[in-house]
Amino acid sequence: MLQPVVPTPAPEPTVAPAVALVSERQSPAAASPVKRRWLEFKQPVSTRSKVLLGIAAWLLFLLGWHLAATSGGEANPLFPSPVSVSDALWNLFAERGFHSDVLASLQRILISFGLAVVVAVPLGILMGAFPAIEAFFSPLVSAFRYLPAPAFIPLLLMWLGTGDTQKIALLMLGVIWFLVTLICDTVKQTPVDFIETSRTLGGSRRSILWTVVVPSSLPGIVDTCRQMLAVSWTYLVIAEIVAATDGIGAMMMRARRFVHVDDIMAGILIIGALGLLCDLAFRGVYWLMFPYLRRR
Amino acid sequence: MSAALPALHSGLAVERLGKIFPRRDASVIAVENVSFQVEPRQVCILLGPSGCGKSTVLRMIAGLEHPSSGHINLNGNPVTGPARERGMVFQGYTSFPWLTVRENVAYGLRINGDVNAMREGTVDYYLDRVGLSRFADAWPHQLSGGMRQRVALARALATSPQLLLMDEPFGALDAETRWQMQELLLSVIRKERMTVVMVTHDVEEALLLGDQIVFLSSHPGRVRTILHPPFKADDAICTREALRSHPDYAGMERDILAMMHEEGSRH
Ligand SMILES: Nc1ncnc2c1ncn2[C@@H]1O[C@H](COP(=O)(O)OP(=O)(O)OP(=O)(O)O)[C@@H](O)[C@H]1O
Ligand SMILES: [Mg+2]
Repeated sequence: MLQPVVPTPAPEPTVAPAVALVSERQSPAAASPVKRRWLEFKQPVSTRSKVLLGIAAWLLFLLGWHLAATSGGEANPLFPSPVSVSDALWNLFAERGFHSDVLASLQRILISFGLAVVVAVPLGILMGAFPAIEAFFSPLVSAFRYLPAPAFIPLLLMWLGTGDTQKIALLMLGVIWFLVTLICDTVKQTPVDFIETSRTLGGSRRSILWTVVVPSSLPGIVDTCRQMLAVSWTYLVIAEIVAATDGIGAMMMRARRFVHVDDIMAGILIIGALGLLCDLAFRGVYWLMFPYLRRR
Repeated sequence: MSAALPALHSGLAVERLGKIFPRRDASVIAVENVSFQVEPRQVCILLGPSGCGKSTVLRMIAGLEHPSSGHINLNGNPVTGPARERGMVFQGYTSFPWLTVRENVAYGLRINGDVNAMREGTVDYYLDRVGLSRFADAWPHQLSGGMRQRVALARALATSPQLLLMDEPFGALDAETRWQMQELLLSVIRKERMTVVMVTHDVEEALLLGDQIVFLSSHPGRVRTILHPPFKADDAICTREALRSHPDYAGMERDILAMMHEEGSRH
């Protein structure tokens, strides 16, 4: 029933369809006899329209970028078009071994985030479940949360050198305090009725923790991890811009020295794509782990 | 010999129970000097206006709240905290959403170390008692409100408690479903010969299910009177129609409603 709002435009650089589309929608010929408005509060959108709309947004973005980059007549080396960026991307992977940089970055993310989760999840659960534990850790954790992780870079460089350890430590510092606080808050949302039900059925503290508190807050914990992983990618670039020889960020800093703006943009694109993939992976895990939350 | 007798008393004994909630400005006396007894296999209803302390009394019997004064004994043992011998059904929906209906009913057995709970007949027996066999593998969010309360009832019954506590278990349900649930509950407690303490402010529910009605007055909650309606003991009465056509029903309902009204307008 639903038709795509925007007919997917073929990338034609000579016309400006963004403007044409708007006037087309406003023309009275497009009005159908059944009044169906596209913007309606809370009206669900079918999966097909959702995908088409998402693709349309990307195409419009790329088109706008392309038009802006090629409007000056001759190519501007400081503002390359999407075409030259995709050329650069191909070149990076095919001829300059970019994949080892990408793997180095991914490895840093996975190790640091894995370590952060291993510390933060048990600590956050214990803090959320037992107010006494929260009272002990909370002042410490809250204070560290307000210290920007990059402020520790000089210290980390002196203590741990310029190797991977320093970068992994920075990435951990960037997310762990937020993970702990957010997980603690999620765990505190466990309905009191659930805990009391378990107590009247003979649940011990340990079994209530494992059979009520943990399963009831697990969806929220997985969601928190998904969101904090995005923050991890932010700190990755900071870590790799400072004294790194490999990694996506290091490649971008090398390219800056030779004013290879297309390489820098290719790096940004790769980070975006990897971030999106991580997000999708987490959503997949969520879907698999929590069958009772599907299609609510 | 005779000195040992009170300790051997079977059933539930609530003696001079009091509860004060401390507050910064002025403490609230929620319950004061409440005493009553429930014989084995009897149903006791706590009835009274809103805020009179019914839930507080029930939660103290469950062991979820510590009494400020007085004692509670179940079959001669003092109540000191929650335990599986006193199962509870709450007013809100408390089925665990991450467990299926069958797993919810098996929950109490499992946390008490019965790893084979699902394979033994107990779970299926109670699912059948509450009419949920067909929904054994559904998730709680797929059930209606009445069905979720039946899950909670089956879960509380599955651990074979000596005393079943219910705090307005049908309070969130619509009138029709509530009646179905009351009739179902009546048949279950007659069959299982359960000892029950139940909170309600629905007079019909109290008269249908109760062997004894403890009527509390408010601020602070005290026992105003204890009534013994004859209807639950009469096995012929198992529906709403049968209850309403009983010659004694209308008079008792009128008296209780008058008391409710009087208490409700007393402040
Ligand atoms: N945790 C608490 N802290 C402070 N006061 C409380 C607490 N629980 C209950 N009270 C007070 O105790 C009194 C009795 O409350 P309770 O919930 O037992 O009443 P109730 O008879 O169950 O009422 P309702 O029919 O509305 O459920 C009320 O005045 C209430 O404000
Ligand atoms: Mg109450």
